[in-house]
Amino acid sequence: MTRYFFAALVGASLMVSQVHPDAVGARAIHGRLVRYEALPPDVCVWPAAVQWAEQAAGRQGRRAQALPLDDQTKIFQGPPARKIQDRYPAFAAVSVDPARDEVIVTDENMFQVFAFNRLDDTPASGITTPKRVIAGENTLIEFESGVHVDPATGDIFAPNNDTVDTLVVFKHGSNGDSAPVRALKTPHGTFGIAVDDRRNEMFLTTQHDATVVVFKKDANGDEAPLRLLQGDDTGLGDPHGIAIDPKKDVFYVANYGSHALRRSDREIRTGVPGSGKGRDKANWPYGREYAVPGSGVHDGPSISIHAITAKGNDKPLHVIKGSKTQLNWPTGLAFDPDRRELFVANDMGPSILVFDADAVGNAAPKRVLKGTRTGLAHPTSVSLDAKNGELWVANFGGHSATAYKIDASGDTPPLRTIRSAPASAPSLMIGNPGALTYDSKREEILVPN
Amino acid sequence: MLGRTMHGIDYDEARDEIVVPQQFGQAILIFKGSASGEQRPVRVIQGSKTMLTALDRLAVDSVNHEIYVPEGDVVLVFDLLANGNVAPKRVLGGPETGFTAAGAVAIDPTRNIIVVGAQARSADGRGLPQLAIFDRTASGNVKPKRVITGLKSRLNDTGNIRVYPQGGLVFTTQQTGYVAVWSLDDNGDVPPRFTVGGPNGLLQKPRGLDLDPKHNAVIVSDKQLNAVLTYEMPQLFQTNTSQQAGK
Repeated sequence: MTRYFFAALVGASLMVSQVHPDAVGARAIHGRLVRYEALPPDVCVWPAAVQWAEQAAGRQGRRAQALPLDDQTKIFQGPPARKIQDRYPAFAAVSVDPARDEVIVTDENMFQVFAFNRLDDTPASGITTPKRVIAGENTLIEFESGVHVDPATGDIFAPNNDTVDTLVVFKHGSNGDSAPVRALKTPHGTFGIAVDDRRNEMFLTTQHDATVVVFKKDANGDEAPLRLLQGDDTGLGDPHGIAIDPKKDVFYVANYGSHALRRSDREIRTGVPGSGKGRDKANWPYGREYAVPGSGVHDGPSISIHAITAKGNDKPLHVIKGSKTQLNWPTGLAFDPDRRELFVANDMGPSILVFDADAVGNAAPKRVLKGTRTGLAHPTSVSLDAKNGELWVANFGGHSATAYKIDASGDTPPLRTIRSAPASAPSLMIGNPGALTYDSKREEILVPN
Repeated sequence: MLGRTMHGIDYDEARDEIVVPQQFGQAILIFKGSASGEQRPVRVIQGSKTMLTALDRLAVDSVNHEIYVPEGDVVLVFDLLANGNVAPKRVLGGPETGFTAAGAVAIDPTRNIIVVGAQARSADGRGLPQLAIFDRTASGNVKPKRVITGLKSRLNDTGNIRVYPQGGLVFTTQQTGYVAVWSLDDNGDVPPRFTVGGPNGLLQKPRGLDLDPKHNAVIVSDKQLNAVLTYEMPQLFQTNTSQQAGK
């Protein structure tokens, strides 16, 4: 029988952990137990799923090389008394491939890309077994924050958000520890991806420097971007998702809102994280070494709409922003050119907001998918299947990808659910935890992500 | 005002507050310790006077009520109660400090020192990693009291730093897969006195770090494992390596 502890989640991106959720029979010495219960005796975890999860955990054993220490150092290399770790994949991005009846999902917890059968529907107690899993040292996969499936070929495009700064492209059917067919060096903090097949261009958002960079769709290696959109007037602020309207020749960007100015005509600041090796390339973002101290602001969340050829410091054509919009950490975007609708994965809603393509200003969404029956849990990505009239969502906080009718609204349950864990498993959402602090008053560990 | 790219955090035990850097908006956000869900910060330090540029981490001095922000070539010090567009009360930085790429800082209010995790300044920008120890109230272009650096130190890409004043110890995460521990009295090219969790243990890329002396715990976050690991190390918390008495 499997036992588990349940962790409490609090605060925007601050995670407060009070117990050890992964421990089977481990002690919770000074944490407060929020809930503890046994799974029903008839519930078991699929052996295959356990196997690939364990393999994924094993692959994460990548340690930088260091000079050996000598006997002047007393080494304590034993295991920790407690470990808080999600044993299951956390779905960050989704892209449906109706031509091949597949759903492609990235996992930012264990650094994998999955291909599932589009028609998979797994009950709450189960885990969906993928058709293929791309993972391993050769894949260069770590924190893949976005994913795009080429409709013609089924090739998978996946940008890395932080640690590898490389967008990887895999041929359809890739499986296991396969090397990508292309590996494009991208700016630090790349998050979202959209592809304009008519122009053979690939659009990427970058969080840290508040930009959109446009590459050739088949760019590889050290190729420079074709265009850069960055500057005070662009309306970009901690941009995440991106989507293209091919009929109107515009693209949409989901902004969290925080940003600071960059100046190329000032002395480069030393000693701060910068734009790295790409600084010498054309159209590379001005990094934090160009930031103007004290220029930072939080403008609030928005969707900015830009001409498809926007570059430099071009202003957005329009902005959707304000209290009626319900935008709250708008993260993933998808656009339906036939229905003329923009879909927003609204992380903190948690909701899917649907706006009219021509929405401007403080516009209310025309539909909202939200509620306890929806299965939405910190949705971070949305993808549309026009062929089958469906909408797919990656739930970073729910170990799931959920499918709905494309016009679903209100508190509508999903048509189908792909699960990386039983529904009862706590979703920790620990992603790239670069810091923590201990609250000695409450005996809690706080983890920003 | 929080985002999903927070690289630092500290808890102020005295005021029961949580302090978080917002690197994209160049802000310091202060929340109540009991904050839960969507709450506004009780104070925000942000604006043209702050000098905040690309703040990744910070540290709170609960005794002297200050916030320290490492910012590349400088360390900015703010009053803990500062709010709005305020200038730092002290700025530590300049050629004499010997550091650049300051990425972490910790305070020992009992010895009145701070430890700055940085790189040595060098013409080619490839200075060795170092832990530079300054007087707590050091300001401007001043020399450090001591510097731990060099090949024997095995200092790598330093993550967070924490000080255990009672034992005279400074802890820092190393991306080579362990937590390294020195005496606060150490100086020069000296190896760590202790390591925790490795090398060749479970840790892969440890970054976040805090101490819970009451429970003899060293708490570490690992960005490769996406995990938080707690090591119970009574042998360290019963150690006093320092000639200078801590409280």
